[in-house]
Amino acid sequence: MVKFYQHTSSFEHAWDNVTYAFWLRYPNPFASHVVGCDVVDRQVDSETGVLRTTRLIHKQGVLPRWGRNLIKSTDTYIIEESEVDPRTQTMVTRTKNLNHVRVMQVEETQIFSVHPENPKWTQVKTEARIISELRWGLTGSVESFGINKFMDNSVRARKGMAHILERLRHNATLATTPAEKPVA
Amino acid sequence: MSSSIGEKCTKIKQEYDSCFNTWYSEKFLKGDVTPMCDDLFFRYKDCLLKVLEEKKLDTLLADARKDNPFPNSSANSESNKKD
Repeated sequence: MVKFYQHTSSFEHAWDNVTYAFWLRYPNPFASHVVGCDVVDRQVDSETGVLRTTRLIHKQGVLPRWGRNLIKSTDTYIIEESEVDPRTQTMVTRTKNLNHVRVMQVEETQIFSVHPENPKWTQVKTEARIISELRWGLTGSVESFGINKFMDNSVRARKGMAHILERLRHNATLATTPAEKPVA
Repeated sequence: MSSSIGEKCTKIKQEYDSCFNTWYSEKFLKGDVTPMCDDLFFRYKDCLLKVLEEKKLDTLLADARKDNPFPNSSANSESNKKD
């Protein structure tokens, strides 16, 4: 079973700030299930100037009743790979879960770019693929759970980013006066 | 700032994060890619790699990283090579 999901949204914040908020987005009040986040690799391509990062995110969550026999542990690890190209002002992020993949694999791609209608805003295109290898009549439950949970999480992730962006705006962290920058 | 997956790495991780945040906002986004946090990153990674090994996450991660997540990227050095 494979399900696709597509969504375009925007933030009323400049691209620079949105990409900065992406790095700062944990912890936030809408992501209490995220217990850890690490940078596994990070480098700038010397030819293109693109920043490439691999992060590992540890989440702990509550399982639906049907899932309790399938999944022993509520720990989920997510790999997040990203590229930031400051020249084209594009950030691409790709995430997928590393464990529980037989039950459900969620692969999400997000593209952050300058909003075509307002250069002070940022457009976010989200694409996701939800795959489950389960059979025996469970596919329906997994399918609806997967999509609902994914949409639920997307809303929370957006709220989390908006929260961080408001905090940045308030602190004027990316303002042109770096001397005033507070300690994050 | 978020915690590390390994509790013992959280302190060095947050020191590195602080450095990166400054570098990202004040250098990288303004076109300066000169490294600034390498020393902190090496120390942090040294701690993290041990934790990943202890938690048996290293092989899981290595497998997941076999696929190139950005096959069409301009930063993909293999496709970028001009012989």
